[in-house]
Amino acid sequence: MLNRIPKWNLTLAIVLIMEIIVFGLVNPRFWNITVLLNSFNDFIPIAIVGFFLTMVVITGGIDISFGSIIGLTSVVAGLLSQIVGLNIWLSVILAILSGGLCGLLNGILIAYGGVQAMVITLGGMLLYSGIAIVLVGLSGVSSYEGITGFPDSFGQIAHGNFLGIPNSVTAFIVMFIMAYLLLHRTKYGRYIFLTGINKNAADYSGIDTRKIMTSTYVLSGLSAGVAGVILTSYLGSARADFGAEYLMPILTVVVLGGTLITGGKGGVVGTALASITIGFLQLGLQMGGVSTQNIGLVTGLLLIISVAFLGISSDFRIKVKRMLIPKKVKWR
Amino acid sequence: MLIVKNITKQREFRTFLFLLVLFVSVGMVNVDYLSLENLHNSLQSSLLYIVLSIGMTFVLLTGRIDISVGGILGLSAAVSGIYLRDGGSIVIAVIIAILVGGFVGLLNGLGTTKLKIPSFIMTLGMLEITRVIQVIYTEGLWVENLPVSFKNISQMEIFGINLLALIVITCVILIHLYLSKTKKGRYFKAIGDNEDGAVLLGIHVKRYVIISFVVSGVCSAVAGLIFASQIGFVSTTAGSGIEMTVIAATVLGGVSLSGGIGSVIGAGIGAIIITSINSALVFMKVPAFWNDAISGSLLIIIVVFDALIARRDAKKAKKERLNARVLQEEVSA
Repeated sequence: MLNRIPKWNLTLAIVLIMEIIVFGLVNPRFWNITVLLNSFNDFIPIAIVGFFLTMVVITGGIDISFGSIIGLTSVVAGLLSQIVGLNIWLSVILAILSGGLCGLLNGILIAYGGVQAMVITLGGMLLYSGIAIVLVGLSGVSSYEGITGFPDSFGQIAHGNFLGIPNSVTAFIVMFIMAYLLLHRTKYGRYIFLTGINKNAADYSGIDTRKIMTSTYVLSGLSAGVAGVILTSYLGSARADFGAEYLMPILTVVVLGGTLITGGKGGVVGTALASITIGFLQLGLQMGGVSTQNIGLVTGLLLIISVAFLGISSDFRIKVKRMLIPKKVKWR
Repeated sequence: MLIVKNITKQREFRTFLFLLVLFVSVGMVNVDYLSLENLHNSLQSSLLYIVLSIGMTFVLLTGRIDISVGGILGLSAAVSGIYLRDGGSIVIAVIIAILVGGFVGLLNGLGTTKLKIPSFIMTLGMLEITRVIQVIYTEGLWVENLPVSFKNISQMEIFGINLLALIVITCVILIHLYLSKTKKGRYFKAIGDNEDGAVLLGIHVKRYVIISFVVSGVCSAVAGLIFASQIGFVSTTAGSGIEMTVIAATVLGGVSLSGGIGSVIGAGIGAIIITSINSALVFMKVPAFWNDAISGSLLIIIVVFDALIARRDAKKAKKERLNARVLQEEVSA
């Protein structure tokens, strides 16, 4: 049973348990289950986007425009409900769809235009945050304060409870199950892996890799939209620059989760474990009295070390093994 | 005639044409934009980006990417800024900045080659780390009160042209000659074009990749000095978000992200375009909040357009090759 679980996920799980034990010893308040569950609020946008960015990365692409899409959906939701006066839930749905639309543009240009994913999503990053700023600018709202005055029912998305469990935890579980089923339990998921392993082979075996690639970007855009709505609900205001600081943490979560940045290998379970690990790490460091700025150092180092560890070639590993374990002398 | 034809075929020519179109069309809306003073100003404000895009070109040519330029810029500017503020000499401050930039670049290079970390991840992590170190080193404060003699460097003029601008332009031309005419300079392109091929040719791939990252680090450090000299202080967020602008500028200038294609001259023109768009919007009286949307859509349009042209060229070349092969067979038969 144990050897069916990927080794890296097992490592992450062990690190997670170690974290809980160590931080609990440093500050017993860490063992309080409500504190732990409420801390999900801090990294729920990271986890949600991370799940679907994993799919994009598995196809061999990359998306760095999600930060801007988070800001754009936030602004769209705010504008439609507060300035235009639409029903709040209708505007939320339209906002998430606008995130999907951004993803669709990315996907079409990358898959059908044959341009590198990095460049297009880089342009997209500027463009979508630009559109968000233009929308705020045209509506005459001060971009510094953002759009506020959402109804209480909207705030309940992030602040509410369901059967005593914070909604953010529910959202985490729901999105995780959706992503897991989609990637690991359907034909579509297997096509995603095939595209990443060998795009030409996938093409020859009759898979429309262009459609598959485009759809992963749409999913990533939609998830960024969901994250944007949750973030808006959590903070109670809509601003264009939400999500700008999420670029690094989300990529870290995906890569730390064991997904190869070159595509073809990875999984949602790793991303989920990695996001909880990093979330608890930040919480624990804060509780342990480490100042906020230094936490960036820890996550940066973690990113590099984990990738270095994952990327070590098997030759190197064998060499190290040979050095550490002396050769057995054969006696005749 | 042949020379003219050769020049018009170059990718840099297309970029330059775009720059001209940009200047002329904005000039038609507002004639002041074409004044010599404004052209001089746009050159001066794009210096920072030109220097950064030189380093970025080296890295991109080898098929890698460097996201950490903004972090290195901030860190080296802060370190040498504090040294200057406490009464240090300018020459040593410059050397300190270059050492800091070169060291971080060396770490990037070693990480990508020896530990086989993808450059995107390595430099992204390094960006975060350098930022934190900068905050720790400066104790979260702005580096202010830089000596006047240091600030004056960016204002010096020779023949009415900014001294720094002259130096940077000469450097761009020299580096272009190095990359295109010398044997070792061409190795960078060769690595990005076909890494396995470069190994077979006997090129020390790892060494040249490390060199490219060190060059990028040093360029970022120099850009940090220019930043400090032009602005007069170093904030804790100095250079944040600049990496994406630099990559955008370099790509606009025709340097391919997959490596092997491009030149520093193109990258420099791209840098001027990116900074000129911002000032053009001011002259066209477009509200500043349009900046990002316009530069983003321009980047996407140009890159897609360029990819389509490149693909058409490749198809044409393939067809010609195929035709040539068919002809040969007929002859032999």
